[in-house]
Amino acid sequence: MGSFVIENLTFSYPQQSRRALGGLSMTVEEGEFVAVCGRSGCGKSTLLRHLKTVLTPHGTREGVILYNGRPLEEVDQRTQASEIGYVLQNPDNQIVTDKVWHELAFGLESLGCDKETIRLRVAEMASFFGIQDWFMRDVAELSGGQKQLLNLASVMAMQPGVLILDEPTSQLDPIAASEFLETVKKINRELGTTILISEHRLDEIFPAADRVAVLDQGRLLCYDPPAEVGRILKEAGHDMFCAMPAPLQIYAGVESPLPCPLTVRDGRKWLDKLFEGKEVRTAAASPSPPASAEKPAAVEMTDVWFKYEKNAPDVIRDLNLTVVQGEWMAIVGGNGTGKTTTLNLMSRLSRPYRGKVKLNGRDIAKYTDAELFRNNLGVLPQNPQALFVKKTVELDLMEMFSGVKMTAEEKWEKAHEMARLTEIENLLPMHPYDLSGGEQQRAALAKVLLLEPKILLLDEPTKGIDGYFKRTLAGILRKLQAGGATIVMVSHDIEFCAQYADTCAMFFNGGVVSSGPTRSFFAGNSFYTTAANRMARHLFPGAVTNEEVITLCRSNR
Amino acid sequence: MKDTFSSYHPVVNFVYFVAVILFSMFFLHPVFLGISLVCGTAYSLYLNGRRAARFNLLYMLPLFLIFAVMNPVFNHAGATILVYVNDNPITLESIAYGFAAAAMFVSVMIWFSCYNAVMTSDKFIYLFGRVIPALSLVLSMVLRLVPRLKAQIHVISNAQKCIGRDVSNGNVIQRAKNGLKILSILTTWALENAIETADSMKSRGYGLKGRTSFSNYRFDKRDGLGMAALLVLIAVVLLGAVLGENNMVYFPALYAKPFSALGLIVYAGYAGLCLMPLILNLWEDAKWARLLSKI
Repeated sequence: MGSFVIENLTFSYPQQSRRALGGLSMTVEEGEFVAVCGRSGCGKSTLLRHLKTVLTPHGTREGVILYNGRPLEEVDQRTQASEIGYVLQNPDNQIVTDKVWHELAFGLESLGCDKETIRLRVAEMASFFGIQDWFMRDVAELSGGQKQLLNLASVMAMQPGVLILDEPTSQLDPIAASEFLETVKKINRELGTTILISEHRLDEIFPAADRVAVLDQGRLLCYDPPAEVGRILKEAGHDMFCAMPAPLQIYAGVESPLPCPLTVRDGRKWLDKLFEGKEVRTAAASPSPPASAEKPAAVEMTDVWFKYEKNAPDVIRDLNLTVVQGEWMAIVGGNGTGKTTTLNLMSRLSRPYRGKVKLNGRDIAKYTDAELFRNNLGVLPQNPQALFVKKTVELDLMEMFSGVKMTAEEKWEKAHEMARLTEIENLLPMHPYDLSGGEQQRAALAKVLLLEPKILLLDEPTKGIDGYFKRTLAGILRKLQAGGATIVMVSHDIEFCAQYADTCAMFFNGGVVSSGPTRSFFAGNSFYTTAANRMARHLFPGAVTNEEVITLCRSNR
Repeated sequence: MKDTFSSYHPVVNFVYFVAVILFSMFFLHPVFLGISLVCGTAYSLYLNGRRAARFNLLYMLPLFLIFAVMNPVFNHAGATILVYVNDNPITLESIAYGFAAAAMFVSVMIWFSCYNAVMTSDKFIYLFGRVIPALSLVLSMVLRLVPRLKAQIHVISNAQKCIGRDVSNGNVIQRAKNGLKILSILTTWALENAIETADSMKSRGYGLKGRTSFSNYRFDKRDGLGMAALLVLIAVVLLGAVLGENNMVYFPALYAKPFSALGLIVYAGYAGLCLMPLILNLWEDAKWARLLSKI
């Protein structure tokens, strides 16, 4: 019970000449698993929102959408509410009530089900999703992953035939994300629910999808099985290709007659076949950058201990960490290991109860606020929205100069120079909240950079950002680094760290368990490492990024 | 949950507390006041343990004493003058009334602390959701929003602190300005994010006709028995009220009805009412002990 036929769908937002969707046609069969991908702003959300009348945006629209063979507009709201389930991006915003059980019942209450029916369905869903342990809890106590799972469960309680998910994991850490996606796959597999999902994290979705739709500027680039999509994008030389799973990218970089691998497991087999009976040379693709031990330390933490309350357990235990000036360091590790707390200690939002934090050789407690946050330390918060105050991005940038003695022209000049550096010049007249996640991130970064920091602290800078924006961000950070800035970044994004950071430190249980130059760091891990390394480590143990594996494959053929 | 009475249906809990709190407020007979104060304190200790002991000793006891002392200082009515202080008469009646009013006030406070522990937001929403269905959802949404806003204020304030613009940075005027800015950011954030909440509600059929209200509560036989016992005890106390057993006259001179068998019954009824939660708990404990001993 749940199929869509979209014919020639064209849509444009009011007062915009550009078409958000242009002549799009596709069919979604019952029980199919369809992944929708594309760069931010390519029309993914707009397309998905057209599949449920209450969520359809205002604007001019042509074309037909058939649901189970009937035009969608003719399907009444009650049927749509229960049969077409919709999960949105932000786990927090979707939750309406204060208790888990009430949230699960919310949809069924709206449909007017009686108490016995609701009791049964809620119980069923809680069991299916493993929610029974936190069934009676307050929503505020849940983790992000649990919240999103609750959103999914409360939609599934209405027993929909189609489940539409609009970037459901963009705000989750990798472990919660893969758990969530596993549940989505389970729903498709065991209940036969049709799934339409848009995602940045293609590594996990790709192997499970029946078909992948790639959108580009509102047009359907291709709509085929995953392996086929990889081939088409590769041939077209499209920049969406850099978002494909690692095995696919490596496969595309190496000429071979074998079928295309989608998972790390298949990728390993493929490499084995490729090099069967051949001698493999594993010369390092490029030497690691020379150790910069002579340089003075920008941030130095010695024997630091921290806890939030006197009787609470220690969050940071005996931490020793040194970040050298001009270095880009990535802090990786699981949830709750003290990564963000460490950043807070570096920015003095929290103070250690034992041990010392030194910035440029001076105790951080001795700095005044002005000394610390002007021309010294810049912090980009995880949620960039916490920084925006004005109606437009430009005013927001100019606001940073309030209280500074400078002529209006100088201010304007500086703000625009920064906009150029962070590539947001064309966004200056827009409202900060109207920007996409990646654009907001860069606008916030511009604001922080106007204080001319020498040390930049970033908390999860790649969260919810697509591959294209990640590259832009990396480019900007590289430029800053070339200008002498030190960068400390907390991230779950292993691929991003592997590609760009100079050194990596892995956190566990409140301290650093291993750290070192990026390449040797990841090559030394066997599980916590990039997909490319996991796929090729039995042949090329030193290769960490896709490019390195591709180069080594080519040179060995 | 430790407290058995809390596991009864919300209606039973609610009727109980309304009755006990109203009775404590209006019946100023010393025996009534004593029963209410002692039982309320005992139950609050049972519910909240050491926290309740600290609350009672640190706040309730001083409050009681202040009330008891203040009344005779300001209130000079009454026929039996004990002593003159600065030409102001201190009377026996006003001292007695001071103690009575203090006991009344403190016991109502203590009963309210018990109410808070037993009547969780769930129960409250459930009860009032039955009277006004829309209200239960609104209450639930408010309870969801408040912790979210608090958390977000913290996030914004931290972000602003890192660019030197928190309420803890700068002189008084700057601090005030920064505080307003944080509120402004919070408002924008709340409004923006409410759009997605609205989408999520619409998408799950909010606004369709015939919305029902789900709850985890069921009025079972045990609740019926509890309710019946509760009503009987309330009836006994009300009977006492009609016959004038529950109050005494403080001014111009102290007068209470002479001691009688009927009065004893009413006192027992009131004691039973005030002790009901504790009796239920003890009974439950005894039942457990019996069950264990049979194994």
